[in-house]
Parts: sequence; structure tokens; C-alpha cells
Amino acid sequence: MALASIDVGLLFEVVWASALAGAVVSTLFALVVLFGARSAEGRRAGRSTVAMVYGTAAVLSFTGFMGLVVYAVHLMLSKG
Amino acid sequence: MDNDVVLWIVVATALAFDFTNGFHDTANAVATSISTRAMAPRVAVALAAILNFVGAFLSLQVAATIASGIVEADMITLAIVFAGLIGAIFWNLLTWYFGLPSSSSHALIGGVVGAAFAAEGPDAVIGEGIIEKVAIPAVMAPILAFVVAGVGILVTYRIVGRQRPSTVSRGYRLGQIITGSLFSLSHGTNDAQKTMGILFLALVANGNLSADDDIPTWVVVSAATAIALGTYVGGWRIIKTMGSRIIKMDPAQGFSAQGSGAAVILAASHAGFPLSTTHVISGGIMGAGAAKRVSAVRWGVAGNIVFAWVLTLPASALVGALTYLVVHLFGDGAAGPVVVSGVLLVALGIAMARRVFQGQTLTAEG
Repeated sequence: MALASIDVGLLFEVVWASALAGAVVSTLFALVVLFGARSAEGRRAGRSTVAMVYGTAAVLSFTGFMGLVVYAVHLMLSKG
Repeated sequence: MDNDVVLWIVVATALAFDFTNGFHDTANAVATSISTRAMAPRVAVALAAILNFVGAFLSLQVAATIASGIVEADMITLAIVFAGLIGAIFWNLLTWYFGLPSSSSHALIGGVVGAAFAAEGPDAVIGEGIIEKVAIPAVMAPILAFVVAGVGILVTYRIVGRQRPSTVSRGYRLGQIITGSLFSLSHGTNDAQKTMGILFLALVANGNLSADDDIPTWVVVSAATAIALGTYVGGWRIIKTMGSRIIKMDPAQGFSAQGSGAAVILAASHAGFPLSTTHVISGGIMGAGAAKRVSAVRWGVAGNIVFAWVLTLPASALVGALTYLVVHLFGDGAAGPVVVSGVLLVALGIAMARRVFQGQTLTAEG
């Protein structure tokens, strides 16, 4: 009888939202590290254009990651 | 007069619980960062303590809802709250002694459920509430975090696998500082509120406040200070277990456990389904290890941790119930809480003295 009270829809929402958020966080930060590393390689090799392109991509990925962090803080502050 | 004495004993006990909550849960935020050398141990616990303190002020959604929906709220008395807190403190100290991470929230719920059961019988306990708010989240949190962190580390290795290990490690150590800070802030906004709720409830029950009043500043400051001090002291035994005894992790795995864990906690919280930080980060660490190599996880240690989770509710409930029965032996006045607190303080003093004495002996022999 107790099990009947469980909201299966809510559980499903928790599962997919968590999975999506986790995958996005991991992917964004992995891209920060990847582009950062390639930018550094480009700089070392004297290819400034390549370094700048990868550097910009790293900054954009990091901005996306930090956007998620700010959104997370916003969620913390707005919880009821 | 008697009521005031009980009130202040409950206040002191609640702050003691808050302190144990802090040092018990320090590991959730700092264990992976310390293990991968993203931060020096003292810096990590200091940062966690500061963010717990700040977090306690950021969210003041303190409805006096201790074990709400799990025990009948109108049956809760100061004696039940006191006994429940003792049950929770006992479990926090016992699991800390064995270096096992376990949920302080579940320990508190267990303590209050046991005390309420001893005081009012089975009618005081809402079975559906225990299943919905304790059992299902306790099963779901580690499994979900395990899978999400596992997928996270596979994605990570796929993207950065061909880069220089030193560059990757440096990047993920920076990431761990950010996700660890997020964890600490989240812990402050969640767990300090529990103690504020207990203090508020006690003040309302004693007639010092009405339920509509704002929470007094001293309650916020004392709860924030207690959890921050506890965090700074650090439960090093649990930090060791989570940081190095479950898996030997690299910075990418540490980040994946923390980042995926934070994502799981916040997504679930946003959907109105709060999960235990301890269960999530433990599951995340195991998932990040198993995704790399199943045998990388020390399953014996993981099994002990899961065993502690299973025992949390019944063990703290048993101690909460026994404490209530002892308190009740002395009647409804202040004598029960005074005697129980006195005995526990003496026992704690003896344990600390023995520890100091043994330390001196070792030093002298060493």
C-alpha cells in the first residue's frame, strides 16, 4: 500500500534530469581541458592562430560550465 | 524553570548534533580533492568550513519540520527531540569511529522515529513517510550517482584520453576546487537548516516564540558556527575512507564523482526529491572507479559502507527509543535530560582523557 504512494513520474524526472545534468557537466569540463591543452600545444609550437582558436573554445566551454555552476547556486538559493 | 532547563539542554544538544553533522560530512566535499591533491588538507577543510558557514545564511527556509511526514508532528515533545538528537549523535560518532560515511539526516530521522515510537507507540510513526522519504532515496541516490559518475568518467576519458596526463590532471584539480566548493555551499544551505529547525521548534514548544515569528539571529549564527566548526575539525577517518580506501582515484575521477554528484543532488532537489549528499558522493566515487575498471573498487569497503547505511535508521532509532525511556524514568521534568546529558558528558570526557593519555604514552615510548 505504501508503494502505491510513490510518484513514478517524479522518480523518472529525477533520473533523466540527473543523468542529463551529469553528462553536460562532464562534457563541458572535458572540453575545457581538451581545448586548453590544444591551445597550450599550439602556443608552444608557435602556431598563434590555432592557439587562439582553441583558447577561445576553451573560454567558451568554461563559460558554459560556470553558467551551470551559477545556475546551481541559484537553485540552492531559490529552493522552497 | 524546569521547561527552560530542558529547552537549553535541547539547544546545546542540537548544536552538538550540528557539530557532528559538520565533521561527519566534511568528507563529502573534501575527500576527493585531498586525495587527488587538488587542495592541501587544511586548506580544503578551511574552505569547506567557510562555505558551510556562508551557506547557512543563504537559505533560511526553516519550517520547523523535523522528520516531517515521517512522525506525527503534533506528538513531538522536547523530550522526543532530545532523545532523537542523542540517537543521531550516537550514530554519527560510531560511524565516524569506524570511518564509515553515513547520512546524518537519516540518523536524525531515525532517532526521532525511535523516540516517538517509544513515547507514543506505532501511531506516532508514518510508515509511508519512511519508505518515501528515507528508504527510496537511500536506494536511489547511490545507484543514480554511480551510473551518472560512471558515464561522466567514460565521456571524460573519451574526450581527454589522448592528452598529456599532467595537463589533464592540472585541469581537473582546478575543476575539483569548483565542484568541492559547490558541495560545501550546498551542504551549508541544507544541513544547518535542520538544526535551525530543531532550535526553532524547541523555542516554539517552550513558548519563547510563536510559529509565525522570524527565526532569531542567534539561532542562525549558532547553527552556522557549529556546522562550520565541525567541518573545520574534519572527520579525518571518513575522509580517508572516501578519499583513498574505496578507490585510488585520479583528478578526473575525483571531478567526475563530485561534478556528477552535485548535478544529481541539485537536479533531484529541484524536482522536490532531496537526496543524501553522503549517499550520492559515495555512489559517485564507486561509479567513477568501476567505470575505469570494476576491480578498481574495493568492494569490501563499499559493502561495509552500504551495511552502515542499512543500519542507520534502525540503530539510531533504537538509541533514540532507549534514551527516551531513560529520560521518561525521571518523569516529565528536567531531571531526565539533565541526568542523560551529564552521563554522556562524563563518558565523553573519559574517552577523550583516555585518548590523550594513550597519545602521551605513545609519545613517551616512541
